[in-house]
Amino acid sequence: MKKVLSFLRSMKFGMILLVLVIACSFAGSMIVQQRDAMEYVRRYGEDAAQLILALGLDDVFSAPYFIVLMAALCLNLILCSIVRLPRTMRAKKALISRAETAKTDTPLDEGQAGKLCAFFEKRHYSRYKAGDRIIYFKNSIGFYGSFITHFSFLLILLVGAAAVMTADVRDQTVMPGETLELEGGISIRVDSFQIVDETGLLDYASTLTVSDDIGKTVTREIRVNEPLSFEGYKIYQQTYGTAGAVRIKNLETGVSEDMKLTEACFLTLDGVSGMFYQALYPGYVTDSDGSVTLITSTSGAYTDPVYDIVSVSGGAMTPVLAFPDETLTIGNVSFTMLDPVSYPGLRIKHMNPLVLGLLYATFVLMVAGLYLCFFAAPLAVAADDDGYVILSPKTQTGLMIELEALLKEE
Amino acid sequence: MEILFFAAIVAYFAATMLQSVGAMMDRNKLTRAARAIFIAGFALHTAFTAWRGFAAGRLPLANQFEFASGFSWSAAIMGIVLYARLKQNWVMTVSMPVAFLVLSYAAFQPMEIKELMPALRSTWFALHIGSATFSYASFAIAGGLGARYLAMLKKGHADSETAMKQTDYMTYRLICLGFLLLTVVILSGAIWAEQAWSRWWSWDPKETWALITWILYAIYLHQRMRMKWQGKRMAWFAVIAVVCVLFTFAGVNKLLPGLHSYAV
Repeated sequence: MKKVLSFLRSMKFGMILLVLVIACSFAGSMIVQQRDAMEYVRRYGEDAAQLILALGLDDVFSAPYFIVLMAALCLNLILCSIVRLPRTMRAKKALISRAETAKTDTPLDEGQAGKLCAFFEKRHYSRYKAGDRIIYFKNSIGFYGSFITHFSFLLILLVGAAAVMTADVRDQTVMPGETLELEGGISIRVDSFQIVDETGLLDYASTLTVSDDIGKTVTREIRVNEPLSFEGYKIYQQTYGTAGAVRIKNLETGVSEDMKLTEACFLTLDGVSGMFYQALYPGYVTDSDGSVTLITSTSGAYTDPVYDIVSVSGGAMTPVLAFPDETLTIGNVSFTMLDPVSYPGLRIKHMNPLVLGLLYATFVLMVAGLYLCFFAAPLAVAADDDGYVILSPKTQTGLMIELEALLKEE
Repeated sequence: MEILFFAAIVAYFAATMLQSVGAMMDRNKLTRAARAIFIAGFALHTAFTAWRGFAAGRLPLANQFEFASGFSWSAAIMGIVLYARLKQNWVMTVSMPVAFLVLSYAAFQPMEIKELMPALRSTWFALHIGSATFSYASFAIAGGLGARYLAMLKKGHADSETAMKQTDYMTYRLICLGFLLLTVVILSGAIWAEQAWSRWWSWDPKETWALITWILYAIYLHQRMRMKWQGKRMAWFAVIAVVCVLFTFAGVNKLLPGLHSYAV
């Protein structure tokens, strides 16, 4: 048991896990992820596709083995952190007592002790006397660098997983002018949505009015990089769509109604005759022979929208291409095609602000830990009449080289 | 103003050649001239970068050309600062070709100034991408130093034990700096991604390869700091790891499309 525990907390085990994470990440980046089986057959051939699917390489980062790998990494970090902290504290005490007794390994000539003293004073080392030797000391906080780094990495994995699992995320399509009600009396109204075309660069922006049940209201435009935060909710401009619009008028009663067309549908009053809406196209090109080719790309603005519809009347079906403001009369009903309406797809995320704050604090902690590790390593230099010795848990080649050069100077 | 850019490439090339010849023949005059030309090239490069930033109305780090130019600029300034601090010729022998090669790569990328994409208009842009240029430059120079160490070893420079020790140590220190900066790149990227796309991490190819690079250097640092590996093994590691950095920098953009595809 002791041996197993010792292996689980060892650096060797940690390194093996890191190599396995590299291997999984490599596979996950080279093989397209989360596609259907036919896509893998088409891309890689039948045999390779079978292997990919059998090994779960089509969704590496959600595969059970990857989750086990990350759990093992957390375990390794927990165990090594537990072991590291008391060791770190002991090392701190040990370094000071070693500095008082350690044998010097580099001799000092006459006058060089003064140079050494000036050098360390310039570098703001602490200094104290222990018997006949002077001890220069620096960066005692650096002892904790390695512990902080490993511990913060562990926290990033754990708090990150908690942040993802506790977040309530929903994607919602909302037409301009419509209001979405959330739990807790919060409502989100889409005042407007626009696609701004900056010479080919499309930017999507929605103006939202968000309010709660006690009257707090915020109106703001959201776009990529600029979500709206409101009482623990974060609302993102996630995607967009364009819907057709039609005004249907009953010519007998004079009653009319506007409708959004988001999918193919049959619009009828009597169930027999009416308009079958098929699709909306963003534009068209008139060829040299006068024929019309519809533009099928829906990634840009709808500059010349065209409605693809079928008129159904008395059992006859007639395909029609209609433009905005065109009216089609079928029986006692008129269908006036309107300008298409662009609408946003919002992502609404609710998460605990404490988890979010904790996650960002772990980020800062990790950077601080690494800084302490690399640039604030603790070290002590003990100097007496015979010479000096450098003591540190980390290799101090840089300081050794600097001191050698300093003492060689005339 | 592109003339400044091409003049900087020429200056970096001339400096690299002079420095190599000077270092091989042990001629101080040549290496001094190389340094002067390199600093002049760096001034031209800085002027070009400033002009481009002014013309674009933003930080010039938005596409592959600008990033490569920033990467080269970072390598150049790191070389100059390290030389100023250490007064060691070999720092320049390695930094100069790195700056030259990366800037030459930039010359093959589309140079036109484009409007910043909406997805890149963020306060995190400068920190995330600025740290990446310095991180990559640190790793690239460290790789160059690793190659120098191996070359010295092959030539059997027994008399230059101190120089080899210095090279080995500087490789390690640059990897420490690069690793710290790469951590900043990844963490600031995660915060930015949450602002832009609502997710901290998407396993996008660029993110995944940044993580692979980070883990690779984490392994290097553990072997070095805990296992006390030094010298030849670590030099090989530093050289091989640069391939991973270069793939993350350029290969991913060309071969693995994803959320970071605008970096092309």
